[in-house]
Amino acid sequence: CGFQLRGASSTQLPFKSIYIGLADNSPLGSELRRYIRASGDTVIVTDQKAAEANLEVLSELREKAILSLNSQGRVREYTLYYKFLFRVKDSKGQELMPATDITLKRDISFNESQVMAKELEEQMLYREMQSDLVQQILRRLSALKSA
Amino acid sequence: AQTAGARASKEDDKNAPSIINAEQMTGRPDREVFMERDVEINKGQTTVTSDKATYRIVEDEVEAVGNVRMRRFGDTYTADEFRYKMDSGEGYALNPTYRLGANNGQGQAERVDFEAEDRALVSEGTYSTCESPDPDWYLKADTLKLDSGLDLGVAYKSLLYFKGVPILATPAMSFPLSGERKSGFLPPTIGSTNRGGFEVTTPYYFNIAPNRDLTLYPRYMSRRGLHMGAEGRYLEPTFSGQTTVEGMLNDQVTKTDRWAVSSIHTHAFAPGWTYNWNINAASDDDYPSDFARSITGVTQRLLLRDMTLTYGSTYWSALARASNYQVLQDPLAPIGRPYDRLPQLMLTASRLDVGGFDWSVESDVTRWWHPNLVRGDRLYVNPKISYPLIHPGGFLTPKLALHASQYHLQNQVPGQPTNLSRVLPTFSIDSGLVFERDARFFGQSMTQTLEPRLFYVYTPYRNQNDFPIFDSGIADLSFAQLFSENRFVGNDRISDANQLTGAVVSRYIEPSGVERMRVAVGQRFYFEPQSVTLGAATNDSRSDMLVSATGRISQAVSVDGNLQYSQTQNIMNRANYGVRWQPAPKKVLNVAYRLDRTQNPQLEQVDVSGQWPIARRWYGAARVNYSLLDRRVAEGLLGLEYKADCWVFRVVGQRIPTSTGQATTSLFFQLELTGLARLGSNPLDAMQQSIPGYQLVTTPSNP
Repeated sequence: CGFQLRGASSTQLPFKSIYIGLADNSPLGSELRRYIRASGDTVIVTDQKAAEANLEVLSELREKAILSLNSQGRVREYTLYYKFLFRVKDSKGQELMPATDITLKRDISFNESQVMAKELEEQMLYREMQSDLVQQILRRLSALKSA
Repeated sequence: AQTAGARASKEDDKNAPSIINAEQMTGRPDREVFMERDVEINKGQTTVTSDKATYRIVEDEVEAVGNVRMRRFGDTYTADEFRYKMDSGEGYALNPTYRLGANNGQGQAERVDFEAEDRALVSEGTYSTCESPDPDWYLKADTLKLDSGLDLGVAYKSLLYFKGVPILATPAMSFPLSGERKSGFLPPTIGSTNRGGFEVTTPYYFNIAPNRDLTLYPRYMSRRGLHMGAEGRYLEPTFSGQTTVEGMLNDQVTKTDRWAVSSIHTHAFAPGWTYNWNINAASDDDYPSDFARSITGVTQRLLLRDMTLTYGSTYWSALARASNYQVLQDPLAPIGRPYDRLPQLMLTASRLDVGGFDWSVESDVTRWWHPNLVRGDRLYVNPKISYPLIHPGGFLTPKLALHASQYHLQNQVPGQPTNLSRVLPTFSIDSGLVFERDARFFGQSMTQTLEPRLFYVYTPYRNQNDFPIFDSGIADLSFAQLFSENRFVGNDRISDANQLTGAVVSRYIEPSGVERMRVAVGQRFYFEPQSVTLGAATNDSRSDMLVSATGRISQAVSVDGNLQYSQTQNIMNRANYGVRWQPAPKKVLNVAYRLDRTQNPQLEQVDVSGQWPIARRWYGAARVNYSLLDRRVAEGLLGLEYKADCWVFRVVGQRIPTSTGQATTSLFFQLELTGLARLGSNPLDAMQQSIPGYQLVTTPSNP
């Protein structure tokens, strides 16, 4: 049916070096760096000025909104949002990618009596969204070459 | 029509020459010039035109009559008679009209005194942001101070007229002269609720500094009395936070004092070190349903009090926490009180990519306290090591983990052990492949992926029936849960496992890398009965099946669907699907269906909401959340907005269930005068929270 195993040519990023504007101990940053290293020859540099591309994180937000109430007025479902806003500049400060927003969401049921477990479940869902986000960021970065 | 022009630069050269022009000029050289017809005098960014004028050269002063018009820094004044010093910007105008460039603020007066380049004092004048010469609303004031340097207007002894009718008199009020946030009244809200009767809220906003503000919410409720609220916010480089305090002395209904406090704060006080607090408290169980202004407040039943101190470096982090909850009980549907964590200490170390290995160790010791259940100290250590092999076409991650825990219990049932320990190893292997092809999606060429994934877990069985449950629970079945080693969340139950999860995801990706659509299906297969349980024992050979499809079908239509289907029972356990149609700005329709049989009581709702222009200048907004099981409307909202050029009127009715058999219904009116009062209060919040995709009617349609 035409599907082919993805090759290095489609994940290779269109720059030789990149600076990732996320702290060393950021879980998102660690996962993103690992996948960039695996995606091809792009080197991750720690000196912003030496990088051919500079991924600048404008905001990383986690939000929680009520999705449904039951007839007793209790929250029975929340929606968790993971909102990531970033842009990519070249070494001269020109924008390679304008401010781009990626928003992920997951629904989670809620019960007051299970609040501790739900807190841990939220963390699990955010970890999964983080992995999802890393893949979506990489897709956008590698698409820059056609631009 | 409120497109404020960019303010012209105020840097002006006082030594710039005054250039004069007219059809006819006479006068004494170096002293004064008399000009007639098409007079124009220009200096830097100030220009004066008139029929007749005298210019005194030494004083750099203009005296003009007849069709006088002055422009300075984007602001325009007209007058019958005018006197002005071109260098200092001082002078006066008689019978003037004015128009401010920054926000289209305009009016007329008996006299304007120019005090400096950016300050004017308007006597017996009016102020409005309406375009028409006969404005829908205007302020009429004894004195108006317009300070475009501070972007601030102040009206003394003023009357506010709406449609020719005076509606508000104030000794002094301030308002912004641009779109910037400024101190001042926020639009008052007038309304009525079934719990508080008639009510009026007139919030006042103090813009203390660009990064600090304070809002006061005096609120009169006819049945209860005067309710006062204050909310302060601050944002500094190393710390930020927000605190709300509110209350009422001697509520006329309950004859008690009612209050609530909410405060969050986070402070990175040294490199790597941060402390946070999140403190919430209320005077009584009914406080949120009686007083809260928003649905998020009304539904609060657990008020968290949490303080944490964290340290994080590149490879390790530590956390100390004290936390508990105030439970606001509903006597007809009591809530089990959560445990207090007094304290929790956590230490995590991790390194990625050490010779290809990732490792981490999480350790935690917590003292769990509860007034009537088993209490105790729990220690666990959870080391993990994995060897991820990542390749553009796929990945393979073998992983080994150990969960070692120890409990010292108090308040235990006699005969039950007070010391417990457990060590359980877990082996897992996660793997996935990524296939791609060129495809078309509704006529657009895209990349389609096919991503199969398999995840195997083995954990031996250990009977854990004697272990208390502090933070463990059954998570929703989700893709995240399908790919976790433990069937439970929390650390009191470690599931025995000999199981395989299979899932396939297919995505449509636009050439720009944007994920347009995703379809996924996943399920877990058990090779042995699951012996560790929470609640009822299960002996299924497979989990429920998860099917999910989310994305945008076209520019205007997006879909979101999640199903959880049990093949063994042949029923849908959870379903959540909906469509959003957003064909243009301020036009949105949402339809969603939600079913959850895993909860008790079950949940089955249809949720319809939308915003739509219903006539010229009229916008409607509505939401109905109908509970199919109870056969009644759980939540409802109906809003109507009228948008004129310089004001918006809105009326919003809402019904929110608050506890068993009780609901709050409310009706609120609001008049927002553009440029006089900032946005943001109850009726607007209600619409934004209830209607996904709602847009302010004042947002330009064609940005």
